[in-house]
Amino acid sequence: MQYNDAMTDTENAPVPPAIEVRGLSKRYNLQPVLKDLSLALADGSLCVLVGSNGAGKTTLLRIIASLVRPDAGFAAINGAALKDNAALRRQIGYLGHQTLFYSDLNALENLTHYARLYGLDNVADRVHAGIASMDLVNHQHKPVRTYSRGMLQRLAIARALLHDPAILLLDEPYTGLDKEAAQALDLRLRGLHQPGRTLLIAAHHPQRLLAFASQVAWLRDGRIAQIQAVDRLSETPDLLHYLAEAA
Amino acid sequence: MNGFSNYLRMVWQVFRKDLQVEWRGRQGLPVMLIFALLVVFLFNFALQLTPGLQAGLAAGLLWVSLAFASTLGLNRSVSLEGENNALAGLLLAPVDRSAIFFGKTLSNLTFTFLVALVLLPVFSLFYQQNMLNPRLVLVILLGLGAYTSLGTLLAALSIQTRTRDVLLPVLLYPLALPVLIAAVEASRGVLAGQPLAELQSWLSLLIASNILFLAAGLLLFDTILEE
Repeated sequence: MQYNDAMTDTENAPVPPAIEVRGLSKRYNLQPVLKDLSLALADGSLCVLVGSNGAGKTTLLRIIASLVRPDAGFAAINGAALKDNAALRRQIGYLGHQTLFYSDLNALENLTHYARLYGLDNVADRVHAGIASMDLVNHQHKPVRTYSRGMLQRLAIARALLHDPAILLLDEPYTGLDKEAAQALDLRLRGLHQPGRTLLIAAHHPQRLLAFASQVAWLRDGRIAQIQAVDRLSETPDLLHYLAEAA
Repeated sequence: MNGFSNYLRMVWQVFRKDLQVEWRGRQGLPVMLIFALLVVFLFNFALQLTPGLQAGLAAGLLWVSLAFASTLGLNRSVSLEGENNALAGLLLAPVDRSAIFFGKTLSNLTFTFLVALVLLPVFSLFYQQNMLNPRLVLVILLGLGAYTSLGTLLAALSIQTRTRDVLLPVLLYPLALPVLIAAVEASRGVLAGQPLAELQSWLSLLIASNILFLAAGLLLFDTILEE
């Protein structure tokens, strides 16, 4: 009987958000970037993070990726605090402004290095699949220092997805991509938007993402000023106006 | 056990990646080697030492060459991770970040030790002493182990600064002074034919320095790298 009660309690326990940050504050050189910021995203969300330059989008993503330690506050993935929890980083895929590649190594070598850091099985298959998915097979043996900005961005996206992370943090993922590559990324992101995977994407020009995103969060003055479901944007005219201006 | 094997895998992968980047780029080791050889040549011709003085100074000059070359290698090791912010890629890995410290220390030690292996016959030639001595190699390994572990820790400290190329030697040389003194004294003793038992105090200092700096890396590396 006790066992059944316990089972019921477990089943009724609230599911923790896939991404949760509470009371985050961060200063750089005494300048506050994030001020008591809180945000919770349910599993399966695709949230577009918008805000003007310097609003703190990159800092927020870097804190969730465990690359920056906040001055105050708490960040968690599926209810588990990120602080001092190295194993949790396996669930996170991060794409930043910089590619994180070694210029003298080629695409195969760079991705193989990351696959090994994550202790992945079938390294060669995963790396080849990642390179093929970004249409870089013909360039895979060239040092990445010879790549164009768009090619580097595609390879960086392949790196972020290499370990099939449940949480994807993408900072301006369309940077440097031509029309075809951007459309291919649209398709990829649509495919990734499913239960079991949560995406938080910072975008200065979010229009193309709104076609398949579930939410928009507006970062202003170091806080989430508004967060709204994409199909209910008409209820938040300020955010709607901001998005129209950002177009 | 799984966690520890992941940790060792990370150490090995950081080490292996550094070797691979060096093999592809050849921007670190050749410069270290040329610089160390230049120091040897310059001292040899500038000081015009008599054979008696050469024997006494050989150990000191060897360590000056190695310290300079190692600092160049440490700077290269830092700039490598700063380029394209590759360090962030290592920080994202799901393993305790001190593994990065051990991997980087291992690669820095390997590069400097390779330089030392080339320098020893050159020193033997110029300073008319047999420096291809296993006991001297042991002292070099202990000295370089302490020097490169401290250097890797300080290189990580300087990675976020704009003046890292200048900052590293300014921080490293004063803090490494006890290690260099112990290494020079132990090397001098070995070259003079003293048994290792007589050099125990210097060797103990080198062993203790290795333990201290490795422990400091284990405990502090994550904090040092944080933004």
